Amino acid sequence: MAEPMERHWLQMPCRHILLACMLFSMPTLPACSRESRSLGPGQPQTPPSGFADPRITYFEDNLYQTAQGGRYFSWYGCAACHGTEARGERDLIAVQLRHSPSFVDVYASIAHHRGVSFGHDGMIPTEQLWQLAAYVRSLRALKREQRRRQDLDQAGEPQAMSWSGTVR
Amino acid sequence: MTQKGHLAFLLPLASCAGAQTPLAPAGDQAAGQYSLLLLMLWVCGILYMLVLGFLAMGLWRLRRGAPAGNEPTLETPSDAVLGKTLWIWAAIIVVGLLLLAGASFLLERRLAAAEAREALLVRVSGHQWWWRIAYRDPRNGSWIETANELHLPVGTTARIELGSADVIHSFWVPNVAGKMDVIPGRANAIDVTPRRIGWFRGQCAEFCGLQHAKMAFDVKVETPAQFAGWLALQARPAPAPEDAAALRGMEIVTRGACAMCHSVRGTSARGRPGPDLTHVASRRMIAAGTLAMNRGNLQGWIAQPQALKPGTLMLPVTLEPRDANAVAQYLGQLK
Ligand code: HEC
Ligand code: HEC
Ligand SMILES: [Cu+2]
Repeated sequence: MAEPMERHWLQMPCRHILLACMLFSMPTLPACSRESRSLGPGQPQTPPSGFADPRITYFEDNLYQTAQGGRYFSWYGCAACHGTEARGERDLIAVQLRHSPSFVDVYASIAHHRGVSFGHDGMIPTEQLWQLAAYVRSLRALKREQRRRQDLDQAGEPQAMSWSGTVR
Repeated sequence: MTQKGHLAFLLPLASCAGAQTPLAPAGDQAAGQYSLLLLMLWVCGILYMLVLGFLAMGLWRLRRGAPAGNEPTLETPSDAVLGKTLWIWAAIIVVGLLLLAGASFLLERRLAAAEAREALLVRVSGHQWWWRIAYRDPRNGSWIETANELHLPVGTTARIELGSADVIHSFWVPNVAGKMDVIPGRANAIDVTPRRIGWFRGQCAEFCGLQHAKMAFDVKVETPAQFAGWLALQARPAPAPEDAAALRGMEIVTRGACAMCHSVRGTSARGRPGPDLTHVASRRMIAAGTLAMNRGNLQGWIAQPQALKPGTLMLPVTLEPRDANAVAQYLGQLK
């Protein structure tokens, strides 16, 4: 009569769908590690020591750190001059594309920012300088929609001395 | 069981009284929801007892022995009465549901009716992970900003307008009001009419990121006179530093990194991203319920916010020990 009901799952009728789901979700797994965050004290308290500083790779490759940089970019009102999409009086994306300054250079130009009152040393906490530099460096790889998406996400957040209220 | 085991067993009972529980209502809205909860408990409890009662009866009758041979089938139940009782049973369920739906409808109407009695307008905005709170000054219509501590006059209906700067949060003060989600892009509001004086605790009730658990706030219900006094104090600019150390602290706060994120009204510190510090020392807690307000905790928070609330968006600012001391001295005087 009926054959025994025990069948390996690979012999089941829906196996193609199952396999396809597994295959399609696999590429998303490595992306998780790019989001990993190290919290608590003991974050960078010194500027990069040179081009080979291992912290540079960590900050540039970490999506959490670059996203935090983007957030502080608007909190500190950088967009007032560099534009909400980092274009404006001084187009940071164009600078990134044209001169491709190193992480150390970008870090230094934020820490010792020329011509702006908050450019004094010590005004921005060190850890944030790392995040801001990583964000500015990531700009050239960010697609236009991605930058726009970030602007929308942060539409309700304060910018330096002004806050227009929550998104309603 | 060890003694600790006994205590753990009692733990759920701890939520029956206290500053953060729906079971000890201290406001109209909370009281209404509490009576709905009781009604629900009674309706569901009685039905549950009935089900268990009939189950026990059935088991008992089975043990006494069913007549052998004629196994009951679905079409011919062994018990002719069962057909009729089934209808009664269905009717009981419908009545119970109607009772609950009706009571909930009436309560909703009562909650909405509070709108006519609104006498105070407060804006509460959720930020990762703290609350910005602004009162509309009844005298001139300007907004008075503070953070993480909500004061309400007893017996007055306040309208609380909720907004979010980043992600979804939820405003929840179980003793006084119900719960209302705080959603970016949506203008939600909730009316509260507190009836009992005291300190209560509010908490974000929608997971909003790393420090969601430490996104609490204190709620103080006080007499209208006390409230008016408190609001007048909050409206004033920050007091001047009282000694040399505090003066140095003020210089650091207003000229350094702090001013990029914090406001101290009456000084040049006008940053908006972080909580308003004008009267920070008049609050009971630091950083949305993370630490008790005192001099030591203030200094600890400034030195290592990431150690006390890992992931918080305030980052440590490197300060010489003497300067950190001066800053804490200054903030401690901002009553
Ligand atoms: C008041 C306007 C203003 C603000 C605010 C401002 N910048 Fe700038 N920024 C400029 C100008 C102008 C330059 C070009 C300076 C020069 O090279 O002389 C510049 C240069 C830079 C550069 C170097 C790029 C280059 O042109 O070589 C970086 C990186 C940068 N800014 C980042 C930031 C960040 C991050 C913030 C926020 C913390 C910020 N800026 C805020 C005006 C501003
Ligand atoms: C990058 C912006 C930023 C900077 C710079 C900053 N803060 Fe903060 N601060 C915040 C945020 C955001 C919070 C809320 C943190 C939380 O509760 O998670 C906060 C909270 C606080 C609180 C607790 C306030 C309350 O109502 O409980 C104090 C006190 C404080 N900061 C003092 C300072 C001092 C002093 C400095 C300068 C040494 C400083 N902050 C620099 C963003 C900042
Ligand atoms: Cu939350």
